[in-house]
Order: sequence, then structure tokens, then C-alpha cells
Amino acid sequence: MIAAQATRKIMNEAEAAPDGQSDDAFYFPQGMAGFSEARDFGFIYQGHGDIVCIQSIDHPEAAFLMTQWDEQRLGKTPILSADQCNCIQASSQEDIMWMVVLNPFIDPQWVTANLKAPVALNPKARTGIQCIRQEAELDLRYHWMRQPA
Amino acid sequence: MLVLRRKIGQVICINDDIRIIIQDVQNEHIVRIGIEAPPEIPVHRLEIYNLIQQENKSAGGAEALKWLKGATNDSSTGDSEDHE
Repeated sequence: MIAAQATRKIMNEAEAAPDGQSDDAFYFPQGMAGFSEARDFGFIYQGHGDIVCIQSIDHPEAAFLMTQWDEQRLGKTPILSADQCNCIQASSQEDIMWMVVLNPFIDPQWVTANLKAPVALNPKARTGIQCIRQEAELDLRYHWMRQPA
Repeated sequence: MLVLRRKIGQVICINDDIRIIIQDVQNEHIVRIGIEAPPEIPVHRLEIYNLIQQENKSAGGAEALKWLKGATNDSSTGDSEDHE
């Protein structure tokens, strides 16, 4: 519930901004895999639905669609290690809002979600980290939703 | 590539803040190593990191925002459907 409220807060902030982009960037100390130079990300929300776009401020080619982790479908949220918590200045797991990266470009029928590398956000500190998980059974391309018509 | 010989318990340092410690050698084929690095340095198994890199590159980019703009004009965005 805290996570849902935090998502809404981020979206509301973005929605209130004239260009749809939140003023306060989120800092990713490790960047995103493949985009390690991209550290500061703004949230862009396009009006409705539960999908947001995060885009690097300095490296605009680093842009990702994300949506909130859904416990009903995916089970409990992952647990961040102490080092990872330290990296995003989270004092407890409850500070963390979990998102999944969506890929609408790989499957003509489905928008997929990467469960192997979800993103943990700390809305209080405005930090984030992509958490790469080792479990072999996790889907890289989980069928999240059908492609819009 | 720099190649070093190290015994169990010996350490390799990279810069001032990264330490690689040889912890164990099992069956002469599997090496256990410990890595100490600052939290902003990501440390992963290469094969998994490569997989995530590729997936991020196929998922990200300028097209992401275009897709979102197009999708939000369609009422189906946000409707979850799990077929698994």
C-alpha cells in the first residue's frame, strides 16, 4: 500500500509538471545495466494507465517503461541485500517501491516484464537500483499485458 | 589481459577501493572468490549481466516514450492480462 501511494505520488508530480516530467530526478548510483553512464532519471507520465517512462537526463537514449510490481501476480516483492539498501539509502525494505521494466518491442502480441532485473526505488531519497537476480526460474520476458490494439 | 597467480586467502586490488579475495578452490575447477567494492560498483556474473544488458537495450530507447504516447491513446493500456 505504501508502494502504491508512492507510485501515485511520483505520477502526480509528473502529471503536475507542464511537460509531464517530474522536477526531481531519481539518482541511480549504478545506472541501468547497459547504460551505466546514465545516473539521473526523470519520470515521465503520459496521463493514464499504470505505466511510467523513466528517461536519463544526460543520456536520453536510456529510457525505460516501468510499472509497479504486482504482488497478486508475481508474489512477494524481492528483498534487497544490505549493500543494495545502502546504495539507495534505504533504511528498511519498507522504504522500497518495486517496479518491473516493460518491453513492448520484443513480442508482437505481448508487452513483457523483466522479472530477472526489477528496479527498486527509494522515493524518500529519490534513488534507485536495478536489482539483478540470480534465480534461474525467473522470467526475462514474462507476459505482462497484451499489446494495445 | 593481466594474468596473476594467487593462493587461497591472497588478495588482488583494483584501484584503491576494490578487493578480490581468493577464498577456495573446489575440485580444481571451481574457484570461490570474494569481492569488496563500493556500493555504486555493480558486481555480477557476466553471463547474467550480459543477458540483462541486452534486454535493457531492446526495451529502452527513444522508442519507449513514443510507444507510451501511442499506447495511452488506446484504452487497453493498463489492463493486465496474465496468460500463464
